[in-house]
Amino acid sequence: MLGEDKYFLGVDVGSVSTNIVLLRPDNTLKEALYLRTQGRPMQTIQEGIKLLRSKIGNSAEIMGVGTTGSARQLAATLLGADVVKNEITAHAVAASRVNPEVQTILEIGGQDSKIIILRDGVAADFAMNTVCAAGTGSFLDQQAARLGIPIEEFGPLALQAKHPVQIAGRCSVFAESDMIHKQQLGHSLSDILAGLCQAMVRNYLNNVGKNKDIRGPIFFQGGVAANPGIRKAFEVELGQPVIVPEHYDVMGALGAAYLAQEKVGMQVGMRSKFRGLHLGETQFEAKSFECSGCANHCEVVEIQQDGISLARWGDRCGKWSIASSTSVDNDSVEHKVKQLGA
Amino acid sequence: MKIGFPRALFYYDYFPFWAGFFHSLDIKVVTSPPTHRQIMEQGLKKVSDDTCLPLKILAGHIQALDKVDAIFLPRMVSVEADTYNCPKFLGIPESLFTAVPAGIPVLTVTLNWRKGRRQILKDLQVFGLQLGKGKADIQKAFTLGQEWQKQYQDSSGAGWDFEETIREIEKVTKGLTKPQMSTLTPSIPKVQDTTDRLRIALVGHSYLTHEAYGSQNLLGRLRKKAEVDLVQHVKQEEVDTNLLGLRKKLFWNHAKQIFGAGNKFVRDPKIDGVIYLSCFGCGTDSMVQELLARYAREQHKPYMMITLDEHSGEAGLVTRLEAFIDMVERRKVHEGYVSAYGECLDRDSNAL
Repeated sequence: MLGEDKYFLGVDVGSVSTNIVLLRPDNTLKEALYLRTQGRPMQTIQEGIKLLRSKIGNSAEIMGVGTTGSARQLAATLLGADVVKNEITAHAVAASRVNPEVQTILEIGGQDSKIIILRDGVAADFAMNTVCAAGTGSFLDQQAARLGIPIEEFGPLALQAKHPVQIAGRCSVFAESDMIHKQQLGHSLSDILAGLCQAMVRNYLNNVGKNKDIRGPIFFQGGVAANPGIRKAFEVELGQPVIVPEHYDVMGALGAAYLAQEKVGMQVGMRSKFRGLHLGETQFEAKSFECSGCANHCEVVEIQQDGISLARWGDRCGKWSIASSTSVDNDSVEHKVKQLGA
Repeated sequence: MKIGFPRALFYYDYFPFWAGFFHSLDIKVVTSPPTHRQIMEQGLKKVSDDTCLPLKILAGHIQALDKVDAIFLPRMVSVEADTYNCPKFLGIPESLFTAVPAGIPVLTVTLNWRKGRRQILKDLQVFGLQLGKGKADIQKAFTLGQEWQKQYQDSSGAGWDFEETIREIEKVTKGLTKPQMSTLTPSIPKVQDTTDRLRIALVGHSYLTHEAYGSQNLLGRLRKKAEVDLVQHVKQEEVDTNLLGLRKKLFWNHAKQIFGAGNKFVRDPKIDGVIYLSCFGCGTDSMVQELLARYAREQHKPYMMITLDEHSGEAGLVTRLEAFIDMVERRKVHEGYVSAYGECLDRDSNAL
């Protein structure tokens, strides 16, 4: 059938996971991938594309690409993105598309956590955690590893708790030493895990959720939403049901796909900048060097494909940044290229 | 004689006064270069780790001053009757002695407007003895310093760009030109009320908002996307009017300016959003920021606080900034949309 294999691609490259979704033009999800970034975003993106290609075949057409997450610029360079958006906008768009009534989004990812307040489907306020990563997925990962339990069992175990212990949640270093004390006293594992969930939620609401008017319906998304222990702790603390949407772990990527659809769909005849599904097979390389042009000694990163420079960034003055056509600041690209040529 | 003046902290608000003062005394003033990586790193090494970022930057600038006969570190206790500067200003110069390179003397003088003009003149005259200047010279220098300071403040009220003004002043201190700021036309025109672009107010201490390196060029990034209003652009009368609603007077000078201007921005319908730039460990901001955030919530004004520290990765800042601009933009579009049918027919297409 015509239009059968046309898709919008959404990619969210975060610190812990790289999520890729394929959205059909009728807004249903064709494919959702949740991959671990493991500190190698470029390889992970390529693997993801390979995986997609094996699933949908070569005849599929990508109509638009959106990238988000902390490595959105890198992903945009590699893929040739039509939209590059920050995580907050992407998450908000995804949630309000899934349920237009949503008023609050709690999002906890690998290295950051955020709260977004929506009113009438429009973001009215948001907050992100400060430099401290306490109360994010990485901390839970770390603690689960220390206790020798797979992260998947963390939540179900916490739900079995009868008397959750009180754990200091202000700082992850304190939380850890407090947990060890509680273990040595002989508290059960599930009580300690439940206590940790409560401490994390308290910390989140005190820091990120400070002074925010949290109203239902509440969406809980991001990787940590997989943990039913945290979800329950949120429900107890907020006194309201907390909804975990079906695709909670790829909401950022979903939002990016919607944004790509919005952008490409709005302009008639606009073609996607997508560089093709064969990307999985080409050779990407990242090089970095220290510029000695001034006292700042910026660390400049250069992305190369088969030896040809795609993009550079990391410099404060902009003399090295050949922004790719998908760059956010593409108004100044020409100017920079001229400067370099001179 | 050549005096080194670090380009940090008090530089951003009070340099014109000191520049005028020393110019009149025929003493050369050398400023350190704008902050760069090395200055920051040097600063971080040399001061107590639990002080604030601006003070650490100042410590770096002290070390960046070379070929000077002395380094000038005034103790600016108070610059206006009934107010104090932040306690960290009061601890200067002692708190920074560890950062001063060996062998370079530190010159200091206490400036305390709470004790009135006569006391200030007296203190400056004692200081003058160290410089080998008489009472009459100091009196003249004080007058010129105040003149320059006033010109500087008036020029920022008229929409002058900070960098432009300060460049003019520095030229004069180097003996290149005579001061004639009032005759020049401002190169960055005052924000037009009819602008189509977003108008974002950036509030916070001058030594953060104008500190391009430390703030990861927040002001520059913001200017690419919107017209930016700053605390310095608000006229003193407006600041004062907007302080009237407080139950208790703020006694920190900077905090007063920031809150008065911030409150004006929060209530001004032409301002689309307010960003508060602060740094870790700022005592006065911990009060003022919270207060302003509450006022902003009452007025439903988009508001965001950004806290700076020593990090050099810019991803966090860029994400927050982009998200804020997106939010303000989408909210503006949404609010401007009035459907003839009384309600949105297709609210999904305009999601967020």
